[in-house]
Order: sequence, then structure tokens, then C-alpha cells
Amino acid sequence: TFHKYLDPSGFGKSLPEQGLLLLVVLVLLEGSVLPLGAASSPDVSHQDDSHNHKVADHGVNATKKVFPVLDVDYHHIQTPFEISLWVLLASLMKLGFHLIPRLSSIVPESCLLIVVGLLVGGLIKLAGEQVPPVLDSRLFFLCLLPPIILDAGYFLPIRPFMENVGTILMFAVVGTVWNAFFVGGLLYAVCQIQPANPSSLHSIELLHCLLFGSIISAVDPVAVLAVFEEIHINELLHILVFGESLLNDAVTVVLYHLFVEYAGVGTVTVMDGFLGVISFLVVALGGVLVGAIYGILAAFTSRFTSHTRVIEPLFVFVYSYMAYLSAEMFHLSGIMALIACGAVMRPYVEANISHKSHTTIKYFLKMWSSVSETLIFIFLGVATVDGPHSWNWTFVTVTVILCLVARVIGVVGLTYIINKFRIVKLTTKDQFIVAYGGLRGAIAFSLGFLLDQNQFAHRKMFLTAIITVIFFTVFVQGMTIKPLVELLAVKKKQEAKRSINEEIHTQFLDHLLTGIEDICGHYGHHHWKDKLNRFNKKYVKKCLIAGERSKEPQLIAFYHKMEMKQAIELVESGGGVKLPSAVPSTVSMQNIQPKKPPPAKAAERALPQLPKGREEEIRKILRSNLQRTRQRLRSYNRHTLVADPYEDGFSDLLIKKQKMIELEKKMNNYLTVPAAPPDSPTMCRARLASDPQAYSMKPVSDSVPVIQVDLASPQSPDSVNVMDEFRRANQEEDQGLMMKPPQGSSGSNKPGEADTTRDQQRLMRCLSDPGPSADEDEDEPFLP
Amino acid sequence: MGSSSSSMDHIPNAEELMQETGFSAAHLLRLYERFEFLDKDQTGELRPEDFGAIGGLALNPIGDRIISAFFSPGQETVDFPSFVRVLAHFRPNGTNRTRNGTQQEPVNSRTRKLKFAFQLYDQDRDGKISRAELLQVLRAMLGIQVTEEQLQSIAERAIQEADLDRDDAISFDEFKKVQQVSPHPQTPTKETPLHPTEGGR
Repeated sequence: TFHKYLDPSGFGKSLPEQGLLLLVVLVLLEGSVLPLGAASSPDVSHQDDSHNHKVADHGVNATKKVFPVLDVDYHHIQTPFEISLWVLLASLMKLGFHLIPRLSSIVPESCLLIVVGLLVGGLIKLAGEQVPPVLDSRLFFLCLLPPIILDAGYFLPIRPFMENVGTILMFAVVGTVWNAFFVGGLLYAVCQIQPANPSSLHSIELLHCLLFGSIISAVDPVAVLAVFEEIHINELLHILVFGESLLNDAVTVVLYHLFVEYAGVGTVTVMDGFLGVISFLVVALGGVLVGAIYGILAAFTSRFTSHTRVIEPLFVFVYSYMAYLSAEMFHLSGIMALIACGAVMRPYVEANISHKSHTTIKYFLKMWSSVSETLIFIFLGVATVDGPHSWNWTFVTVTVILCLVARVIGVVGLTYIINKFRIVKLTTKDQFIVAYGGLRGAIAFSLGFLLDQNQFAHRKMFLTAIITVIFFTVFVQGMTIKPLVELLAVKKKQEAKRSINEEIHTQFLDHLLTGIEDICGHYGHHHWKDKLNRFNKKYVKKCLIAGERSKEPQLIAFYHKMEMKQAIELVESGGGVKLPSAVPSTVSMQNIQPKKPPPAKAAERALPQLPKGREEEIRKILRSNLQRTRQRLRSYNRHTLVADPYEDGFSDLLIKKQKMIELEKKMNNYLTVPAAPPDSPTMCRARLASDPQAYSMKPVSDSVPVIQVDLASPQSPDSVNVMDEFRRANQEEDQGLMMKPPQGSSGSNKPGEADTTRDQQRLMRCLSDPGPSADEDEDEPFLP
Repeated sequence: MGSSSSSMDHIPNAEELMQETGFSAAHLLRLYERFEFLDKDQTGELRPEDFGAIGGLALNPIGDRIISAFFSPGQETVDFPSFVRVLAHFRPNGTNRTRNGTQQEPVNSRTRKLKFAFQLYDQDRDGKISRAELLQVLRAMLGIQVTEEQLQSIAERAIQEADLDRDDAISFDEFKKVQQVSPHPQTPTKETPLHPTEGGR
């Protein structure tokens, strides 16, 4: 049987089966441990009591007991253990789904996770134990939701968001209110006209219906994220639906609290309505304000973290979480606070923190939000099995239908109005996707769960209906949206990378349009944006960004980022290997010339002896690089052998010459990192400041061949002909790698060689983890 | 706004202008009022100094280029029709009110807009953006905070990316192609905000 796993052809086939097996085992395990946990706790507590008795007796009788060598004390670790077990289950499920290739492309992950939750809940119920109330509202709102929202807010693409903010707000505010009242009102009407069988529906009050409407009408960010992430739709639609789901939180909070407050009383006056509107403004703007304050605090703190890089990510997380909690404390919109906090702090924090902290933040946020999302869906499944249900055909079906209808009417109607003000109109296809993408999720369920059973007699029915709507939207709409997107040929997300030309042109256009607006005397979009930018540059950046970096223009930062990425790619793809080792590191690293004249240190740099293994590595690189394999093996007298053009390596030499010519051209364009102030963050990153073996700026001594490529005129007298350098380097090689300390003048070129190869190694090692580079979105420059 | 049809009579060739540029009567009137406001010495024509008087433009890094875009080469002044024609480039796509089916390309088509932007880069009007011209633009936009080498490498890289026929300059076609890569809402086709009658929007 072992052969099956060792067999290469069989391995691929067995992997999905393995995955399935693993899944089943885990589900069973989960199902069995939890009841065990639930069951054993009363035992353990019983044991505790008896143990206490025994101790008491012990004091009196002093009877000798057998010393327990192995003891099980589950109660001691129960809660963290169960939490960990759930998280582990969630993560393994996620793993499992992606091992089964076909499944994950047909069914969105969220559906699968709900099914898993159902299974687990079912197992637990079968085992006869009580299902733990996992989707506790407090747990949900305080622990599970924030990571997802923070992840969304921190990486929110500001530019598209701001451009469409009017549309998004219309959908979020007006659309949600419309939905709530439409669904609530019609539901009440339907309930009233129910034929008078002893249906409990008659007893539902209008306010309760409206409350239910407001709970069910909010588009859920978690569900939207989960589904839309997989369909890769174009940026505009994505930001519309997603932005709407985020901003409607304020509306939901206000409506929810309004109706809960007054449902008891039974009447809502005009005054209350008016107060509701005021309350909405307070909730929304207050939330944003709280978020912005914490964001600025975080940005300010990050200014001083240059000596304690390790805890930089912590500040981002803690400040954001506190923003959320503070907003929740005042019953403001926590989601909006979190979004505002993330969006406000990001440009400044990213200018201040190290590259590795940036990567850490990225990874951690993705990880937490991923786990959270998985857990939420699984818990939804479990809660479905557990939750007190009260099925009422009429109520539930009418709810589902009304939700759909309300959404469609709302979107169409609003788009008609919005299109009058938009430059890029929303087409019918867009409207369809926006309407179809209005998924409901766990927020609705948690809000329903929060309702007091005593006050709301129909809570169970509400919950059942909410769950049904959630299931319907997630399963039906979630599964079919991908084929529909394909069918309707909706524009997909452009995968093209941002080029420097685009950057330049975007900025250019901004200036142009601002100028034109000024000429027309029209205080439009661009005018205010320009004013904000100026304010930002003049005052805010100075406060919040440390040191020199506050002056670095965006374009430069963007350019350096691109160069870095390219350098990393070049090295990773073995491009650094293809180029002669002497050149890349020398040019890219040693061209860091500060604007001031370099300190005139004439001290010799002591070269370390490279260990044998390293030397071999380097030789291997050079070997494959320049195809001088046989040469090196044969040359035993490294000191004296000079390249003999008439050896059989001549053809190699020709090839190499050709390569060099090409490379020279490429080199001139790509690998020069122009001089920048030594403290600029990009230089720091290039230096990999947090790496203990970071390259420190060396004084430019005469013995080192510094290649200065003057871009403006390749023929300028200052420029060193790169080809000469290559030739020299190759001659070097024929002498073999000299790794001994410099012996006077003969070592003049070698330090460069040894240095650069060492740097090459360091470069390759240090740059080996470029972070999650696949996602281009987050690396957008922060053009506001 | 107190616009009556009689004010339209002040505008020379109003009908013709409307057809050519696609502006509505209300827009045209508004622009005329703005023109008169800018024309401080009431000559009926604008000079560069009149433009320079606009506050925001002075702070704009490419303000001088924009101003010079209004003036055809060799001309010292801008009259109202030319003023309107330049601004017509910034009308949104698609709403062409040309009554007669003109065969020529409408003024606010995507190509014309890109051409306008291109001409702002290409000051010497040779049909190509040379490295020097690109450098000038970058220098203007980025100001004094960057070193010469940085500017040059950015310019170098930009040309590297866009230049397909390797003539070390960006021609209009190459320029168009680069802009076409991303359907970013900021391209001139979509982001042309001028609805003067919309007030503060």
C-alpha cells in the first residue's frame, strides 16, 4: 500500500482522496470531542468535589492514595481547547476544499463551509449533546467580525471608492431604507390578510415587521466578500456592492435600535422619525470620526517606531480594534469606524514602517480575516441545526420573495436617478449584478439572535426566516453568480499591472483637470481633491511621517517600489544568475551615492574568508551563468590562466559577448537605482534594514570598480563602459575566485568580485520572501 | 442665472458653436459669462495674463502648459470660439448633440481627448514625446524634492515601457496604447467633469 503513495503518477490522484478522507476523519473527531467535552465537565466538576472531600478527609485520616501518574483534567483547559479545535477545524476544512479542485470551482467556499457547519451540528445533535451556542452575538460582533472588516478597510482601494462614493452612499442609505420599509410593510400587510386560520401571523405588529425588515435588508459584507472574491469582477462593480455592504451598517444600526426601542411602546411619531434621521447622521459621522481619530493616533505612533520594528504591526491592529470597540460603546457604527481608521492610517503608516512589518500586517490581516470568515460560515451551519426554529411557510416564502423584489426595484430605481449624475453610467448588466450581489449573511442572523424573546414573541419565526433568506442568497445566488457573470460577459477585473506611464499620466490628468476646472471657475471634484492633497502635503504629512520620507513624492515611492519588485523578480527567476555576478550588485547596491560627497575613508575593507561550501555555490552560479564549465574544472593554476580565445570556449565567448550587448542595454534601463537620500524608506528597504546582515553603505574607495551609468547620455565621459567591466570580470574568473584578503594591487579587482558575489548571496537570501505579491490591488499607490 | 435668450445674441455664431462643440445653450452661456469675467480689459479676447490671474492655475504644476494649450501657435490672444473649442474636449463622451450627421469625429471623442493631453506633453509639436519633454513634465510635477538622477531614471523607464518602435520617444499611437491598457476611470474618456450648470457637483 505504501507504493501507492510513493508512486509519482498515483500520487496526484490520491491527493484529493486523501483530502476527503482527512475531512471525514476530522468531522468525526470534532463531533466526538465536543460532546466528550460537554459530557466530561459535569464529571470533572463532580470529581473536583469528591476530590475536595478527599482532601478534607485526607487531613483527618491521612490515608495513602495511589499517586496519579497520568491524570485527565479536561475541565482545566476546556474553553481554550474547544476554541482551538474549532479554529483548527475551520482551517483544515479550508485546506481540504482546495485540495479537491473541481468542487471549489463550482461551489463557492461559503456554501461548503455552511454545509460543514450543518454536518458538525448534526453530528453533535446525533451524539445527543447540546450544541454549543456558537454564534453568540457578542462573540460574533466583538471577535469574529472586526478582523474581516479591518482587512477590508485597510486594503480598501481608496481611489475607486472615493470616485463612486456618491453612488455607494445612495445604494447604502436610500436603498437599505427602501428595502427595510418595503419588506416590513408588505410583510405586515400579507400577515394581516392571512385567512383567519389560527395563524399566529395576525398578531404581528407593524413595528415588529419593520424591525424584521430592517434586519433582513442589509447587504452583508462578509458574504459579499466571500462570493465576489471568487468571481473577479471588474473594479467598479466590486467596489459598488462591497462599499454598499460596508456603509449600510450605519443605517442598519439606527433602524434596528429605533425599532427595538419603540417596538415596546408601539407607536412611532414623526418626532421619532426626525430623531432617527439625526441619529443616523450622528451614528455615521460619529463612527467615521472615531475611526479617523484612532487612525491619526496610529499614524502618529508609527512615526516613532523606527527602533522597535518588531511591534509595529501590533499598533495597527490594536488601534483599529480600539476604534471599533469605542464606536460600539457609543452605539455608533463600528464598521464605519474600522474602515475609516484603516483607510486614514494606511498611507502614513506605510510610509513609516519597515518592509517586513508591512508584509506582517498584510499576512496577519489576511490570515485572521480568512479564519474569521470560515468560522462564521461554519457557525452559521451549526446554529441552523441548533437554533430554535418555527417554520411558517407563508412568512418565510413571502420574506424571500419580497427581499428579491425589493432589491431589484431598489437598484433599478436608484440607478435611474444616479445615472443622471454619473459620468460613467451604470448599464443594465451592471444593475443586474448589483442587484444579484446583494447577499445577506451572518450579521442579519446575529442581529436577530439579539432580540429578546420576551419582547418579540415571534423571534423564532424571524430567525427561521432570516436563516432561510441567508441560505437562499448564499447558496442560490452565490453559486449561480459566477456562471451568470460568464454568461452575461460582464467585464472582469483587469489583471494588468500598473505601469509607470499610467502613474505619470494619472497625476498629469489630475493636474490638468484641476486646471481646467479653475479656468471654468467650477469648484468640482478635482478642485477639492487638489486642495486636500495640498493640505495633506503641507501639514499632515509633516506630522505623521517620520523624517525625510515626508517629502518623498508618491511617484518616486511608486517608482522605487516597482524597481524593487522587478529586482526581486529578476533575482528569483534566476535572472540574477543569468547576469554576470559582478554587475547587478555593484550597480544596484553601490550606486547609492549620497548627494553629499562620500566620506573620504581610505580604509581597506577586510574581506571575510568564504567557507568552502559558499565558494562552491558561487562557482556553480558563475558556471551556469557564463557556460565556462569545463574551463574551470580544468584550470588548476588559477593564478596564471588567462582566457585563451582559441580554446574551445570561443563560441561561448561569442555568445557571452552577444549577451553582454543586450544586457548593457537592459542594464542601463533597469538596474540602476538612482541616488536617493540615505534615509528614504525605499533605500532602507533596498538595504533591508531589518536584516541583521544588512548591507551598510560602504565608502567609495578607489579600488572598487564602481559602475556609474549615466543615463542621460550613454556616451558621456563619465560612464564606464559596462563591457569593459564584464571583460575584466571574466578575466577574473579565469583566475578563479580569489577569496583571500587583498594582496596589495593584485587584489584590486578581487574585492569587488568577492564583495559582489557575497552581496549576491545576501540579496538572494534576503529577498527570498517578497511577501504576498500576487495581489496587485494592495500595492496601489495611495492616490487619494 | 438670469439667462435670457437675448444674451445669447451677444455670442457670435452661437448656433454654429453649439453644433460644432456639442455644448448646450445653457452651457455656452455660462462659458460666455466666464469668458467675460476673465477678460478684464473687455477686449473680447483673452491674453495669457488673464489666465495667469486665476489663482489656482498659478499653483498648478502644469498651469503654464494648460494656458498655452488655448493659444494656437503664433497667436497672442484667444477669442471666445477658440476658448470654447478647447473646453469642448472635456465634455463627456456620448452625448453628442450634433444635429447634422457630420462625418468628422466629434470633438470629445476619446482620440481627440488623448490627442489634447498628448499635445500638452509634446510642447514642440513634433508628434513625439521625447525624453527631454517627459523630463520637463516630471520636473514640473515632482518639483524640487527629487534628484535629477531619479527623474531621469523614471523618464527612462517610462519610455522603456511605452516605446515600441525603439525610437526613444513616445509617439501618439504608443501613448494611446499605454492608456488603453487600463480602463482606469481617470482616462480622458470617462473623467471629464465639466457640467458647468451643475454647480458644485
